[in-house]
Amino acid sequence: METLTSLILIFIGAALINNFVLHYFVGICPFLGVSRRVDTAFGMGCAVTFVISISALLNWTATYFVLRPGAPLPAWVWQLAGGNPETQIDLSVLSYIIYIFVIASSVQFVEMYVRKFFPSLYRSFGVYLPLITTNCAILFGSLEIMKRLQDPTKLWGLHEALTLAVGGGIGFTIAISLMAGIREELDMADVPAPLKGAGIALIVAGIMAMGFMGFTGVEKGVASAIGALLP
Amino acid sequence: MLTATTLALAAGVLALLAVVMGIVLGWADRRFHVGVNPTVQAILAALPGANCGGCGYVGCREYAEAVARGEADVNLCAPGGAAAAGALAEIMGVEATESFPYRAVVHCSANEHQRLQRTEYRGEQTCAAANLVSGVQGCTYGCLGLGDCERACNYGAIRIVDGLCVIDYAKCVGCKACARACPRNIISMVPFKSDRMVVVACSNQDTGPDVKAVCMVGCLGCKACARLDPEIITVDGALPTIDYDRYDPHDSALEKAIEKCPRKRLVLVGRPTEQDLAAVADEELPESIQADFETTVDHTQWRG
Repeated sequence: METLTSLILIFIGAALINNFVLHYFVGICPFLGVSRRVDTAFGMGCAVTFVISISALLNWTATYFVLRPGAPLPAWVWQLAGGNPETQIDLSVLSYIIYIFVIASSVQFVEMYVRKFFPSLYRSFGVYLPLITTNCAILFGSLEIMKRLQDPTKLWGLHEALTLAVGGGIGFTIAISLMAGIREELDMADVPAPLKGAGIALIVAGIMAMGFMGFTGVEKGVASAIGALLP
Repeated sequence: MLTATTLALAAGVLALLAVVMGIVLGWADRRFHVGVNPTVQAILAALPGANCGGCGYVGCREYAEAVARGEADVNLCAPGGAAAAGALAEIMGVEATESFPYRAVVHCSANEHQRLQRTEYRGEQTCAAANLVSGVQGCTYGCLGLGDCERACNYGAIRIVDGLCVIDYAKCVGCKACARACPRNIISMVPFKSDRMVVVACSNQDTGPDVKAVCMVGCLGCKACARLDPEIITVDGALPTIDYDRYDPHDSALEKAIEKCPRKRLVLVGRPTEQDLAAVADEELPESIQADFETTVDHTQWRG
């Protein structure tokens, strides 16, 4: 029961309260670049959710077994090479380069797979996949998971990491779809010429971010509501 | 803590990851290989890649795919012109029919002083908006001169001079953007069989007195040209039409028709000939030529 409650809280936290785009301001370039029409924006959101989940799976594995302080694999290799078992081994310095590496490779792999077996899907969101490789929201998701793997007494499991990733992806989809809906309406509006295009989009994004600030502190209420529902 | 241990392990981890990912991606590349049509690639390489949409397809790739399927003609690419058509014909193994570059032609030649019954227009300064209002000027067919075509042109080939759009044939690539933008449809695409082409520079469908009331230069529909050169020119209603399929740039009857037109509305447009250039060769250029700066603010539509 504790686990379920914490998973729900992680999910809501990543999707709404600490929305990747509107709270941490990561993934801004697809958020502004691909938010002209709702259907393409939704496609982009789905692609991001998909890639962020895959990279969270791989990067959690890499961090848990190799990169975190006291990870089993380097310690084992070290002892095999005849090193002192008391030595503290911390490969966290490698986290950024390995995350980028893993994200780029897995996106490449997924792109090839989709292109071969789902040509129609490739046509509709295949073009976004290479863009997503350099999307900072994906790297941010992995880094958030890394933060939770530093303290050996309370390590995150794979289920928690995946919940955070899916929540973050869905939060991104919500934000970009809302943005696209507003921008479609903006085409009809009489926007002053100096603000047309990127200017008004950034103003809208700022107002949306302020709106999402309203979710701050919701987690306590959600926790008590879940506690009441699940005795 | 960066020690020799960490460094050695880091190098090992990175090398291992590189090897694993290399093997996985290399395997996937073979396993999931998708054959791309080499014809499409070759056609795409032969096209200029302007993605202007003049051929009627969304971009160069769509057009290349349509050509490769045999659904589209090889000579539709306006910016590529004859060179691209020839290259595509060679790739597809078909005979390229002789193709001429299509260029935009304005079927109006009255500047703002020659168009009569004009009243001040203070609305939205676009042709599309002005066209909805009656009484901006007498002629309901002619150029409004507010520059929708100028803004539509991506190549800077259109200028509004004295309230009339003028096309710079050194820059025009024939993408049809201006023809689509003009709310009065006075810009059409004409196959340029020679550097200079004869065009009917008026769109007014009314007859003599009505035209004279609204324009100092418009075509009166007198049919003199059609009598002199019935091969090429036909008058349907009150406006002559030139049949460009049978058009011959060295037709003497056509020259006569140009000369006889009482309003001189059969005009030659296109690149200047050598005689034209020789005629202005003596004229002195100003000592300093001002750079022609353009900013996005120039075309702002917001007026407070």
